[in-house]
Amino acid sequence: MADKKARYQNRIELLQGTLDLLILQTLQWGSQHGYGISVAIRNRSGELLQVDTGSLYPALHRLEKQKWIRAEWRISENKQRAKFYQLTAAGKKQLTRERSKWSQLSDAIAGVLQPEE
Amino acid sequence: MSLWRWKKRDAELDEEVRSHLEMAAQERVERGEKKEDAEHGARREFGNVGLVEEITRDGWGWRWPRELADDVRYGMRTLLKSPGFTAVVVLTLALGIGANTAIFTLIDAVMLRSLPVANPRQLYRLGDNNSCCVMVGTQEGGSFVLYSYALYENLRDHTPEFSELAAFEPWTSDLSVRRNGSAAEPFKGEFVSANYFNTLGVRAFAGRLLAPPDDSASAPRVAVMNYHTWQQRFGLDPSVIGSTLNINGVPCAIAGVTPPGFYGDTLRSDPPDFWLPLAADPEKWRLPNAAVEWLYLVGRLKSGFAPEPVQARLTVELQEWLSSHREVIPDQDRKDIPRQYIRLTAAAGGVEKLRTDYETGLHLLVTLSALLLLIACANVANLLLARGSANRAQMAVRLALGAARSRLIRQMLTESLLLAIAGGLAGLYVAYAGAHAILLLAFRGASYVPIDARPSLPVLGLSILLSLMTGIVFGILPAWTASQADPLDALRGAGRSTGDRASVLQKSLVVAQVAFSIALLIAAGLVTQSLRNLEGQHFGFVTDGRLIVNIAPSLSGYTPDKLDGLYQRLEETMPQIPGVLSASLSWYSPLGGNNANERVYIQGKAPDYRCTAPSWDRVGPHYFETIGTRLLRGRVIEERDRPGGLNVAVINETFARRFFPNEDPIGQHFGMTDVSHSGDYEIVGIVEDAKYQDTRGPAYATFFLPLLQTPPGESFRGWVGAIELHVAGRPENIESAVRKALADADPSLPVLNMMSFDEQVARNFNQERLIARLTELFGALALILACVGLYGVTAYAVARRTNEIGIRVALGADRANVLGLVLRAALTQLGLGLAIGIPAALAGGHLLAHQLYGVKSYDPTILGAAALVLAACAILAASIPARRATRVDPIVALRYE
Repeated sequence: MADKKARYQNRIELLQGTLDLLILQTLQWGSQHGYGISVAIRNRSGELLQVDTGSLYPALHRLEKQKWIRAEWRISENKQRAKFYQLTAAGKKQLTRERSKWSQLSDAIAGVLQPEE
Repeated sequence: MSLWRWKKRDAELDEEVRSHLEMAAQERVERGEKKEDAEHGARREFGNVGLVEEITRDGWGWRWPRELADDVRYGMRTLLKSPGFTAVVVLTLALGIGANTAIFTLIDAVMLRSLPVANPRQLYRLGDNNSCCVMVGTQEGGSFVLYSYALYENLRDHTPEFSELAAFEPWTSDLSVRRNGSAAEPFKGEFVSANYFNTLGVRAFAGRLLAPPDDSASAPRVAVMNYHTWQQRFGLDPSVIGSTLNINGVPCAIAGVTPPGFYGDTLRSDPPDFWLPLAADPEKWRLPNAAVEWLYLVGRLKSGFAPEPVQARLTVELQEWLSSHREVIPDQDRKDIPRQYIRLTAAAGGVEKLRTDYETGLHLLVTLSALLLLIACANVANLLLARGSANRAQMAVRLALGAARSRLIRQMLTESLLLAIAGGLAGLYVAYAGAHAILLLAFRGASYVPIDARPSLPVLGLSILLSLMTGIVFGILPAWTASQADPLDALRGAGRSTGDRASVLQKSLVVAQVAFSIALLIAAGLVTQSLRNLEGQHFGFVTDGRLIVNIAPSLSGYTPDKLDGLYQRLEETMPQIPGVLSASLSWYSPLGGNNANERVYIQGKAPDYRCTAPSWDRVGPHYFETIGTRLLRGRVIEERDRPGGLNVAVINETFARRFFPNEDPIGQHFGMTDVSHSGDYEIVGIVEDAKYQDTRGPAYATFFLPLLQTPPGESFRGWVGAIELHVAGRPENIESAVRKALADADPSLPVLNMMSFDEQVARNFNQERLIARLTELFGALALILACVGLYGVTAYAVARRTNEIGIRVALGADRANVLGLVLRAALTQLGLGLAIGIPAALAGGHLLAHQLYGVKSYDPTILGAAALVLAACAILAASIPARRATRVDPIVALRYE
């Protein structure tokens, strides 16, 4: 239904910058498939961050289109054919940019949230 | 991006998602879940696979064309899955769109197309009507249309605004053509001024066309051949160009061939095979006589000149010329000279003969075919609605699964557009075949019509547009109603709801169909009755068992002094042909397209210049008995009425009533030309009125003269052009015997054509017959479509109400109750349709009124019959599902769904 779809889109928008950053950071440690990325994010966030597949796959395809990551079909450790994503040189630069943007943002937010002394 | 790459990408996305699910499931198994639970869990965690894939694909771009391709693919698959439905819809649309495209093709060819010449918009005709053929003095209403050669030369030389001004015959002339001494063959020719082709801006396809020196009487005789004739009769033989053919007894060099597609100045059936200079006109009396008006003029206006001032200047020139030529306008008419004028009319389309002849008919057909298309649309919309309602549950499921409403509407619209395009393509074939058939009907008897039945590019564009519009018109409502499905219905069981919007719509569509159909049926009834009245009227002659042979002795080198011998030979040999009961000769025969009229002067009475001149014909002995016209008083023309004897005349009733209202015409005298001739002919007999030219109005006042009698001081006119034969058995059976007898009488005499009198008369009603047949066809189609519609809606209602009917039967309703329940709804729609359609037909009837003969547009019998036929067919159509309803088994019905 229409409003259901709209909900997904809202969430993408809300997470967009962050999700891209999380994906790029995850791929920094080596190439990974979609499922692996979602598991990695979940595990590393202490099960706090659940990446919605409706956001993950569009984000992966978008990052691929922007040439920050590239994909190839490989056999996974479980002997399954899977699409593995890998960071490109441009992706690495983008990760640096995103990271500094994020730390600026979190510093800024932390500054705002700091109780006045 | 190619379709193939999309498909590959789609498949990869599918696989990516699948591998995600498998890995997730496997991990759950490793954690100790059961395999089945693990798969379900993975799926639940993942969410809506279709939706995730769709959102991902949205990110790829190209969303709109991709979805369109999907919709088209999906639509095709659904349509092919129900071939019966698809075939009915495509066929219905093909008929509706095809009928309209066929009519457009004809309208385009007859009314809109320009002559295939250079800059046709510069061409203007001097005159605003199609008066024909030979006139003297002032012209009808003062508007000059026909010109003498002398007047033409004067206008040509004194109107510098025209770069060229050409003159030509308004009709095509019969030619007798012999190649290398072979038998004479009839061809069509047109005599034109030598600058004719320059004026029209036509260049030779081969050889040369006419040039000004060809106009002089001393120039060597040349003719220009039509490309179509060169192709059809001479096999494109290049040696024909420059060779000599014997045309009307005179050797004539073929100077060149016109370009393909050129048919002359007038779009008509059997256009000229040859164009010859006016100087070669075999009727020598016309060209030098300034008083004989017989030519149409068309000029090419130099660029920068507006037609209005030129028209004013031409009018002044005309009036001055008429004033200075005393021999042209009789003294009693000179006061009318200031009222004579020339009006320039645009001649980009040439002389608009067909347009004038067929305009009302074509307009009527456009209206009727549009009506048919509306009915077809209503029918298709109805079928789609019924199908949409059947698919309601499926729609509800799709909505529940998250499909966007707009996407569903688009999907259904794509489907109806696909249907419309398929219908349009099939319609093109229908249009081609239809236009071809219409041309055959409209030009019965013609050997060649220069109109292409293939739709032209603009017509093609129009019909594609029409198809798309049709698709949207009939598709949008069903799509909208179907998309309004409530997802809850899917869970509730959609079949049980009653009284939904779709069924109201369907019923109104059936009402509209019935209304349109009754209007078409009434129109069909009226024009058919009118045609029957026209063909079955009392013409004043009998057509059964009569054969008419048209000949032209003037084309075989006969001179007036040799006619007597020829006529005697024919009068002797014709009755001897086995099977011939009687034979006669005449100048022309009734309703053969020819008519001559001439002012008469009655002895002892003041000349009356106001009334129209009576018609006249030359006839031989046995003429009236051969064509079956009854003698009322006195005697007919007999063998003794030869040159040198008493000059006699036979008149018809109208002539007697008009000129001798209160006295006995027998023994009275009258004459032609002027008062001094009023004693020339003595009236010896009166025959019944017969129609010779106009089939709708009363017979003209007519007098008949013997074949060769010419009083002193009169010029001889009226060579025999027709042989009438009354035969035992079918007239066609003796055609070869007649040809042989004619060839025996004179081998150089060409038979222009030969046909039964029935056929000759029938050709007068080509347009009426065309309209009647097409309207009947449209009416029949409308009737079928309306019945299919009513059947569909009733059948759908029965299917939907099976439960209800079952309950009613269970509660004690009998067959009659159930039948009544179903039929009542159908009858209501029928009644409403009739109640709307009949008054609409009556209101529209006045458009038809002036085309009807002997039947009023509100004829109660036809109205009643049309309503009865429609009602009977509709009830029959509705009774099939109604009977099915009576067989509903309550137990089965209650278990249903």
